[in-house]
Amino acid sequence: MRKYMVIYRSVLLENLQYAANVAMGFLGYFVFIFIFVKLWGYMYRTPEELIAGYTKEQMIWYVMMTEMLFFGSNAASVAREVAGDIRGGNIAYLMNRPYHYTLYILAKYTGEWSVRLPMYVALAVVIGMVMVGPLPHFRLTAVWAMALCVILGLTINAVFKMCISLFSFWIEDATPFQWLYDKLILVVGILFPVEIFPQTLQPLLKLTPIYTVCYGPAKLIVDFSPEKCLEILVVQILYLMVGCEMMFLIYRKGVKKLYVNGG
Amino acid sequence: MQAIRVENLSKTFRVKKKEKGMAGSIKAILHPQTEKIQAVNGVSFQVEEGEMLAFIGPNGAGKSTTIKMLTGILYPDGGRVEVLGIDPTKKRKQLAYQIGTVFGQKEQLWTHLTPYDNFRFFGAIYDLSEREAEVRIEELAKRFELGTFIDTPVRNLSLGQRIRCEIVASLIHKPKVLFLDEPTIGLDPVVKENIRSLIMQMNREEHTTIFLTSHDVGDIEKLCRRIIIVNAGQIVLDDSMKKLKEHYLQGKGVEDSAASDVSLEDIIMDVYKAEGRTAAV
Repeated sequence: MRKYMVIYRSVLLENLQYAANVAMGFLGYFVFIFIFVKLWGYMYRTPEELIAGYTKEQMIWYVMMTEMLFFGSNAASVAREVAGDIRGGNIAYLMNRPYHYTLYILAKYTGEWSVRLPMYVALAVVIGMVMVGPLPHFRLTAVWAMALCVILGLTINAVFKMCISLFSFWIEDATPFQWLYDKLILVVGILFPVEIFPQTLQPLLKLTPIYTVCYGPAKLIVDFSPEKCLEILVVQILYLMVGCEMMFLIYRKGVKKLYVNGG
Repeated sequence: MQAIRVENLSKTFRVKKKEKGMAGSIKAILHPQTEKIQAVNGVSFQVEEGEMLAFIGPNGAGKSTTIKMLTGILYPDGGRVEVLGIDPTKKRKQLAYQIGTVFGQKEQLWTHLTPYDNFRFFGAIYDLSEREAEVRIEELAKRFELGTFIDTPVRNLSLGQRIRCEIVASLIHKPKVLFLDEPTIGLDPVVKENIRSLIMQMNREEHTTIFLTSHDVGDIEKLCRRIIIVNAGQIVLDDSMKKLKEHYLQGKGVEDSAASDVSLEDIIMDVYKAEGRTAAV
């Protein structure tokens, strides 16, 4: 475990040098939120109206939270770096070390979002308070449970993205699959909560990673309940176990297929 | 005692084939074709502990593929490999503690960190305590003369300085076998000479087994006592540096080898030509 902590710390040190670059992405986040504030402002005719069980403030805060997770956890290392390591041959250096390559990447990824996410949390809180106002019934005492769900959600997302990247052992470019996964998460989990979709689709959507990656953590932030929290945590742990098992299996099989470019 | 034992090692790759132009690209999507390439074909050799061996051959001869099988990165299709008595395919992690690798054309250092931070990082990866890592870094920094740039981010170092740091990073855990894949590529003659003396010193003082691949005859002549030449995935020559010239000239029918001014480069070129430079990978 110590070595993964060291990897995490090294990435943290490296990323802290580029904290200013992270701030450059704030504009994109602001534009997204601005559009959604206007959109939902138009959709809600009265302040008391509920859409899919969400008040206007809850709906906008939901989008702000999911977008915050999306922008704050830009998973470059799990998406592009793994595929790049395999294609470019750098994996030769990374594999013959006394650590597990996939856990090395996960530790790196955690170091990356540890710098980015807090910056986006601060930005989301400021924008939210100014443009929407405080989140009604927000449970400050449950912040630790929300944080735990967010961390687990980000880790599950990384594990699934890594599973896709590891297909680079077989195919030359796994980017189209990454694109499909990202768009699925974006449309179904980030832009709209699951409750917006038809009743018949909802149980199906709750079986996908969307429930654990973005919908679950964001739902807890805007409408916390201990029962919901427990349910999401249990599903996240199950998803993490299955995801990790899948990731290790794909890596084990893939590594035998490795062809290092450039000799 | 033997540090490396290789018996009948083989590795085949399937490489995609594509005809020229747009039509070729479309055809490759509809009917993908692959070509089977024998990168390593029945290679056998042993390396003694503390030996410095040159494992050379033309581009695509199978040198790097062999190194990658010895270090557990690639899985052989056939044959047996043992490095320090460990099978790299079965116990790669265990072997990782005992070996070091330097691939001259790839980077292992984190470019935004200083060499010192990199060494501390690698020390932790190899389970060295903070005290052990500190002592080792001090020792290697002195030996490799890193004092003036150990606290400069790697991205700001010259190539020669970076390669010295790459080698130090590979030595932090006192490996028993060091695999050097073209470690002096792109370096100027003075820096090359400096790197060679440091490798020799390390071999002398720590009894590290050196497995070197290089296209630089100077590296081979100055560092190695034995040479293996591979071509098209097969060993075509395995001899001691001392006897190489004598055996080569005897093969050519020249009796007075001392009188001949044939160089190592001439011999290597001749062997390459005689065997045909069939590119494998």
